[in-house]
Amino acid sequence: MLIGIDVGGTTTDAVLIQNGEVYSTAKVPTDAGNLLKSLIGALDEVSRGVPPENFKRVVFSTTVITNLIAEGKTDRVALLLIPGPGVNPASYVFPDSFYLKGAMDYRGREIQPLDEAEVRETVNRIREQGFSRAAVVSKFGQRNPSHELRVEEILREMYPGCKVELGHKVSGKLNFPRRVATSMLASATGERYQGFVAEIKKALEERKIRAPVYILKADGGTLPIEKSVEFPVETIFSGPAASTIGALALTPEGQTSVVVDIGGTTTDLALILSGKPLIASKGARLGNFLTHVRAFAVRSIAVGGDSIVRVRETGDGLRKVTIGPERAGPAYCMGGEKPTPTDALRVLGLVEVGDPERAKDAITAVASSLGKPKTEAASLIVDATAEMIAQAVREMFLEWEQEPAYRIWEVLQEKKVRPENVVGVGGGAKGLIAGVAEKLNAKPVIPDHSEVGNAIGAAVARPTLTLNLRIDTQQKVYSVAEEGEIVSLNSTDIGNFNRMRSEEAESLATKLLRERAKRFGVSKYADEAEVVSSEVFNVVEGWFTAGRLFDVSMQIPAGLIPEWDRREKA
Amino acid sequence: MKLGLGKIKDALKGGSEKNTGAEKKELNEEEIEPHRVEEVIVKTKTSEQKSEDEPENEPEKKHMIPVNRSGARRTGLIFFPAFDWAISPTHPEREERLLYTRDQIFEEGLMDLPQIAEYKPRLADFKDIARVHFCVPDIKAQATTPHLIAAGSCLVLADALMRGEVKNAFALIRPPGHHSMTVAHGNRGFCNINNEAILVEYLRKKYGIRRIAIVDTDVHHGDGTQEIFYNDPDVLFISFHQDGRTLYPGSGFMNELGGPKALGRTINIPLPPGTPDEGILYVLDALVMPILKDFRPELVLNSAGQDNHYTDPLANMRFSAQGYAKLNEKLAPDMAVLEGGYAIQSALPYVNTGIILAMAGLDYSCVKEPDFKPGMFVQAARDRQILEGVVSTQLENWNNRDSLVEAEIAKHGDFYRRKKQIFYDTDMIQELQEETVRMCPDCQGYVTIDSRAHRSINDTRIFGVSVPIYACNRCQEEAREEYKKRLNSPVYEYVYLQDKKADEYRAYNIRTKQETVY
Ligand SMILES: [Zn+2]
Ligand SMILES: [Zn+2]
Ligand SMILES: [Zn+2]
Repeated sequence: MLIGIDVGGTTTDAVLIQNGEVYSTAKVPTDAGNLLKSLIGALDEVSRGVPPENFKRVVFSTTVITNLIAEGKTDRVALLLIPGPGVNPASYVFPDSFYLKGAMDYRGREIQPLDEAEVRETVNRIREQGFSRAAVVSKFGQRNPSHELRVEEILREMYPGCKVELGHKVSGKLNFPRRVATSMLASATGERYQGFVAEIKKALEERKIRAPVYILKADGGTLPIEKSVEFPVETIFSGPAASTIGALALTPEGQTSVVVDIGGTTTDLALILSGKPLIASKGARLGNFLTHVRAFAVRSIAVGGDSIVRVRETGDGLRKVTIGPERAGPAYCMGGEKPTPTDALRVLGLVEVGDPERAKDAITAVASSLGKPKTEAASLIVDATAEMIAQAVREMFLEWEQEPAYRIWEVLQEKKVRPENVVGVGGGAKGLIAGVAEKLNAKPVIPDHSEVGNAIGAAVARPTLTLNLRIDTQQKVYSVAEEGEIVSLNSTDIGNFNRMRSEEAESLATKLLRERAKRFGVSKYADEAEVVSSEVFNVVEGWFTAGRLFDVSMQIPAGLIPEWDRREKA
Repeated sequence: MKLGLGKIKDALKGGSEKNTGAEKKELNEEEIEPHRVEEVIVKTKTSEQKSEDEPENEPEKKHMIPVNRSGARRTGLIFFPAFDWAISPTHPEREERLLYTRDQIFEEGLMDLPQIAEYKPRLADFKDIARVHFCVPDIKAQATTPHLIAAGSCLVLADALMRGEVKNAFALIRPPGHHSMTVAHGNRGFCNINNEAILVEYLRKKYGIRRIAIVDTDVHHGDGTQEIFYNDPDVLFISFHQDGRTLYPGSGFMNELGGPKALGRTINIPLPPGTPDEGILYVLDALVMPILKDFRPELVLNSAGQDNHYTDPLANMRFSAQGYAKLNEKLAPDMAVLEGGYAIQSALPYVNTGIILAMAGLDYSCVKEPDFKPGMFVQAARDRQILEGVVSTQLENWNNRDSLVEAEIAKHGDFYRRKKQIFYDTDMIQELQEETVRMCPDCQGYVTIDSRAHRSINDTRIFGVSVPIYACNRCQEEAREEYKKRLNSPVYEYVYLQDKKADEYRAYNIRTKQETVY
């Protein structure tokens, strides 16, 4: 049996799956102050009466990292930054930054050495200032981490108690400010996240649950919980990822869908293009910080079932309804104070929640202000809400179409896909999905168990893994962005480096991915790995080819575990 | 440990989306938005009023009205490195050219800055190309997909600029174009079609822009752009470059001042080899900026080559990344289009970072090449004197431009003719041309070109007629007549009509008797 639990903002949802079917579900309110309690509460409820040895796999998605950051419950981190030439570091807004001399260029060649006296002086300062954590990040540190490594050495020697995070280990992608932000957040949340994981393990131990435990990442992949403490930030936004994988699990294979999760205050949108959830071209944003965290392209709009409905006069004397952006508390029919879309849906008989008389009262007030009959007013409210969601979906597709392109084939590629399905997941979707789908000329789909689609997503998600290999035959080295090691090409079985072809680069990448999958305990999925892009550049110096640069990007994409019996469950 | 990372929390509350400064200010400006809308309306009225005073030779189709850009805050950017295209594997114009620039600007996180708006390239239409070139034998042969994307990128940014979405824009694209002339028989100086000229004609046709200045800051003379606008008094073309006696294409001397009716609207500034930042910035301050101020263009374009750099392998100048950034800050072009620049490792990553920051109004003081030391290049006293001479000669030419035009017109009858010899270095083509300009009293006059290209054992002769966008009706009629007359002439293989006034373009294949209309 498989367990999936999604700790959301308002409720914590859980599901138990047996033989590819939903066996039981549970929903408990989320206690923001004690996520662990909510999580365990949902677990206990969904697994009541089932012997613990029946569980084969447990997967959580959690907002713990997002909450820690939002509540300021993070630890201070000294940022030791080695920016080199370029943007003036004075324009960065990172707190607690200490800048160091030294620079690497885009090919990882040292252009300015470290000033060790300056490093030592800085280490003394951060100790005096009471920092017990440091993140060391150098521009192009992923192309040559030797400065970061040397600073770490000095830190360990002079200040052994200090916890150190290195930029190149956090992400190998280009973008120094994002690497700084990601390293900082990883360092600032690492310890508390570790504590959270320890508590979960203890709670499972007490319940004699010995099944492997995974955590869901923002890219919809699972990560063994022991491994996740190395990458705490990857678990942000795992909620929308869970809903998206859930929608994937509950719709036919290979279709293009927009996943709509309508909540009380916000609606979350995600795209599945020809059966593949769309990954954002750049990393996730966390408040003020842009990160390197790989995440689904999700959009959250400030409209939901509990948004305030108002009547506004437009310039030409006409009156129209507006929805949100604030929340009115619960809907009027649920004992709230203001009319909401939920009240309109209740009046139209599209949902069956709350007190029908109160819903009628709320909509009558709107109707008289509009000067229209009650049913028409209710329809106008539902239509306006659906239109806001549909418009956000259109914008999302447009944004995807307009993503920058750096190669001829990318410009020539026709990106003109539109959704076949509008898939509603979560509690609030029921009454509105049909309206949204109609506006998008798509089929409305509300799958069975859609109210726990997120938990199903967590339960059936498979692992993801990426590997970005760069080979520089002139410098006779290769490196894997995710691992930060610069390795001599002599250690491979490649013969003549300068004759190296793309196929050889790709087969080296495949081999390295298998090794990496093994270390992550996900060898079973290594065959699912695909080459995302593969490029080769001749390095020409003085009209002669002096070497070649290869960039191979591979991934095990997000998907479903084979245990899930997939079929049209709509 | 109880200390919270309060600053992270504060930043989160901000809800903005970037890792670098100045967000507060952005939000404030956002609130001013409604006033901007009003301003737009006001501006529209004034530009309509203005058009009543303008000469009658307006293009036939109504154009769109550019939006006032004073509220725009961002710099539009297209980065199109064409990572899958090269002239040949080891050619300077190859896949690798913008690779390290990509690494640098991506690692700097420039695309994340709220001051930068990144756009997606598109393909230019054949019609956009036909508005500038007579392509032999046809457009497909000269403008292949990468060329169409490079030109199309300029047009995407032109639209963003005219819609008021951005305050200025930089097309960081390849392949380049400033050596391409009106007649395109092949590749010259790594160029097939002229991106800036295509941009200018697009802006004029679509948005009714009239006066445009192009400043060519590439180390090579922008001979293609010069040739295309040589007879056009509405386009001011200023090129500085390493002295043509020492560098390809061997032109760009001070006596090349424009056709009879556009004298002084072409200004060439030959620079002695070895000129450093100091010299180029002196020329900019003393000559280029005063002329621009005087000309009052609606738009300034920078034909932005990066081969003046002190490490460029194809030239001998001593310009630095700091110099390029300063130049763009001073010149403040509405749009910059990348041209040459072949020091792909030692210069381009730094120069492009500097230009992007300068155009976006950001601090570029920390952008420098690894080996650059301030003061490492000093202007020689003798070269300084040469530059002072160039400045005073060209200022005099500029100030006397109207009398120069008057005197020149008096020398010619109804037509002005000149013969040209053009060499295509990349494709080894020798071209002989005779250009004829109608000396019309009412407009700048239509132009005909009779061109014969010799390539190994093949000779191709074509005839092209070009009607300027603001031509008078009589010139338009005469020109169309000229085109018709040539359709039965067996001496030509192809005959072209470029009627910019009607926005109609025709190409006729004499052998197959087929006419293509764009
Ligand atoms: Zn030039
Ligand atoms: Zn050049
Ligand atoms: Zn005329």
